[in-house]
Amino acid sequence: MKRHIPGIFIVFLIILFFAVNITIASEKTLNIGVFSADMGILDPHRSATTANLPIMDSIFNGLVRWKPGSVDLETIEPDLAERWESTPNGRVWTFYLRKGVQFHRGFGEMTAEDVVFSLKKAANKDSSIWYTGYTAFEKIEALDPYTVRISLSNNVPSMLGLVLNFHGGMVLSKKAVEKYGDDFKLNPVGTGPFAFKEYLPKQKTILVAHPQYFRGKPKIDQVVYHFVPVDQAREMAFLKGELDMTEGVKQEWWVEKMKTQKNVIVDALPPGELTMMHFNMAKKPLDDIRVRRALVHAISRQEFRETYGLSLTGDAISVIGPGYLGFTDQVSKYEYNTEKAKALLKEAGHPNGINLGEFVTSPIYLNSAELLQGQLKKAGITFEIKMVDHPTMHKMIRQDMNALVPYGAARFPIADEMLTQFFHSQSIVGTPTGITNFSHYKGVDDLLDQARVEPNVDKQKALWVKAQQKIMEDLPAYPLRITYVLFLRKGNIDLGYDLKSNMTLHYQLTEKTDIK
Amino acid sequence: MNDDTRKKIIRTFVQNKAALVGLILSMIVVLTCLAAPFLPLPDPVNQTLSKRFKAPSLEHPLGTDNFGRDVLSRVIWGGRVSMVVGVLSVLIAMGLGTIIGLITGYRGGYVDNLTMRIVDVLMCFPTLILGILFMAALGSGMTSLIIAIGISIAPRFARLCRGAVMTVRQNDFVEAARSMGMSDTRIMFRHILPNVLGDVIVMGALWVGAIIITEASLSFIGLGVPPPTPSWGRMVREGLDFMGHAYWVSVYSGGAIFLTVIGFNLFGDGLRDILDPKLRR
Repeated sequence: MKRHIPGIFIVFLIILFFAVNITIASEKTLNIGVFSADMGILDPHRSATTANLPIMDSIFNGLVRWKPGSVDLETIEPDLAERWESTPNGRVWTFYLRKGVQFHRGFGEMTAEDVVFSLKKAANKDSSIWYTGYTAFEKIEALDPYTVRISLSNNVPSMLGLVLNFHGGMVLSKKAVEKYGDDFKLNPVGTGPFAFKEYLPKQKTILVAHPQYFRGKPKIDQVVYHFVPVDQAREMAFLKGELDMTEGVKQEWWVEKMKTQKNVIVDALPPGELTMMHFNMAKKPLDDIRVRRALVHAISRQEFRETYGLSLTGDAISVIGPGYLGFTDQVSKYEYNTEKAKALLKEAGHPNGINLGEFVTSPIYLNSAELLQGQLKKAGITFEIKMVDHPTMHKMIRQDMNALVPYGAARFPIADEMLTQFFHSQSIVGTPTGITNFSHYKGVDDLLDQARVEPNVDKQKALWVKAQQKIMEDLPAYPLRITYVLFLRKGNIDLGYDLKSNMTLHYQLTEKTDIK
Repeated sequence: MNDDTRKKIIRTFVQNKAALVGLILSMIVVLTCLAAPFLPLPDPVNQTLSKRFKAPSLEHPLGTDNFGRDVLSRVIWGGRVSMVVGVLSVLIAMGLGTIIGLITGYRGGYVDNLTMRIVDVLMCFPTLILGILFMAALGSGMTSLIIAIGISIAPRFARLCRGAVMTVRQNDFVEAARSMGMSDTRIMFRHILPNVLGDVIVMGALWVGAIIITEASLSFIGLGVPPPTPSWGRMVREGLDFMGHAYWVSVYSGGAIFLTVIGFNLFGDGLRDILDPKLRR
């Protein structure tokens, strides 16, 4: 008998191998590589983490949605709401919900109650980080199980933008939130094409098809988001076929190399992220406009683009992304001129240059920090880089640690979003209502407040233009570069939609997405 | 040391080919690093983006990196960081370790027992882990790096020194000194220390190489000397991002680490052979 043991063992292994293979073959699994060490919490109202956006996009729906693959406000189409109407003054909106939409994991039908609950949650400071957008929501009520009425105290920049499948507009299951409480963040229940299954910290998040999805059962059975922060590891896994989709390395030479690979599709798309350098005006000597002007003259935006490659980046002109509603390029421009920077510093009483102290940064921003350090040094402006991990950096820049804060962001593409979050005094970091106003700037509050309630679109745009012009004059921040999103997929992946643009910062998945 | 012993030592050393190679290698590295300010090198931190990723050429013998900085210049200037960290941390570790070893080895008893259990605990952790721990507590920067590595390896010196002291303590001359009424401090420092210093120095030489690797590892994971100061470990890490495009950043900085560590280790081995009477024929 003893002699047979190795033989039996080998036969057993072969059987096991085939058995495993068969189970794998019968399931369509999509493996996605994410450029992040981990994800944050999966509560769309409380999470701004880039790695989460595509995951939450697969799990949740809004009342309306962008046509997949587009972020044009013109393409907004029904999602959970079948249709909607508003009174002529734009103050009362009624949404008629789709019937029979099922939540994941047996949480029942989605009704007006869930929508009201979700929007109220999104508008509540304690349960949402996007609440400032919803301050005009005076009354959110369910007229019947399939009708929701929203009354506004004043006009808002874009009503549909607030009930869109993005950030605060996502609809959550009321029952699930009540059941899980704070644990909902890792037990998300929505109505999207894919349902949350499992999360392994710093490894992966697994989603499975939602068979009762209202647009039809997804063609893919399982989606696995792998968190792979190291570029080479992601590249290798992708080329070996372990990943079907991945985030790319934002380097032109890398993209060229990938384009020569067989069976690989490269998607580099606008609008991408706008990176700005915020000047903390609460710190001396940055309270002096001459010093801030000196800084912007000492920064070469061209070089900031070149480190990634010109084909993967765009010119940052104003403090909101081009293509955002209300964008203007008619703002003050500052050429790269080290001599001018030095002269301005001298004028401000710093003939020997200035030192801005410690500059806390994380590996993700290290490249920018080093580049900036090299550029500013030429004009006599110095700082010391201090490395911390990414979450610590986010905490520290909100405690005014840095004189300079580089920050990349993509927001709903209307001027109000970015302008309010970065330049309204209510968003100043460290205050109870703080979001991302790192500069402590207060100069455009009136313009933004006026614009937000202005019913006339042209007048509203004019106010936003004025705000951008004033910001570029006062320089609480300086736009550095637009970084396009860059994803790669295998040639056999059919997205199921026409990809033109993207706000989820990774491939969006729909029920039609398929592996051929 | 009389002329005869000196000649003997030099002869032993020259005969030991490996040690000689080690000495020459480490001397080359040390001298180049020391001479960095006088060499005709471009500024190691000056960025010229138009010259990104230039392959090795006459102008840039080892190419340029992602900011268009000269790799040769960065390797040499980065070596200064490694040298300073390597040598100073060893000195700290030697100082701390020797004092602890002297006291515990000489005194014995519960002082010895207690200290050695602490040393045991510290020696359970790999140097790198201890280094990370101390860096986290002290914050990044060159000074904290030196202190962190120094403290991390001090227990090893303490252990070695204690053993040596315990052997020397048994000698008659210690007994004689004690009977003459000398103070413990004087016995420890005047009579015992010179007899154990050889062992400690050999260990120090052997550890320089290991510390250079530790420094590079800490820099590799982003805990070393902050930018823009060039550092071998960080250069390897930076180069990794574009290994397939511009291999020279990682390869040459990695090569520098390799040569230096090999050099110091061979030299340390040779030194041990000379100073260890049991191995000497």
